[in-house]
Amino acid sequence: MSIAGNILIIAGIVMALIGMIGLFRFRHFYARVLITSNIDAAGMLLLMIGAAMQSPDAAFALKIAIIAVLSLITSPLSSHAVLRSARASGYRMKSGEKP
Amino acid sequence: MILYNIILIVIGVFALADIYKMIAGPTIFDRLLMFGVLSAKIVMAMVIFALMTSQSYMLDIAIVYTLLSFVSTVLIARFVRSRGMML
Repeated sequence: MSIAGNILIIAGIVMALIGMIGLFRFRHFYARVLITSNIDAAGMLLLMIGAAMQSPDAAFALKIAIIAVLSLITSPLSSHAVLRSARASGYRMKSGEKP
Repeated sequence: MILYNIILIVIGVFALADIYKMIAGPTIFDRLLMFGVLSAKIVMAMVIFALMTSQSYMLDIAIVYTLLSFVSTVLIARFVRSRGMML
């Protein structure tokens, strides 16, 4: 159980590493919004599952599950709010520009 | 236990890269996006720290931090809506 939890935590960190490479790789804003979901959803959920698998008691695991569900609900909503606000402000992607 | 220390150091390096992108972002929307990513990193570090010390008080703070970062991101995004490019 402990080894499987450690493997899931390392998988979450690798997902966050891929997200950070994407943040420095992509130039434009709309391409970077997509890659942040890799950090917020995939990496964080894998890390939370791995942490809940090696928690000392049941209340600890329940609190980690509450954090995972809350972040899974709120991270798409906040990125959608930022994207909608940028679109309404006139932040456009120019045609012919590389992402 | 040495694995958790390495993971905390790696998350700290990622958070420093996030702060660099937050300062260098050209508009306010890039900075707001980086704020969301940075708060996700902070929640990850809080959970790993609670797992290191086997104390569950840090998890309560992490729950409140998740909700507060969501509320502040949505509030700033609504506040600068349709005039964010002038800032």
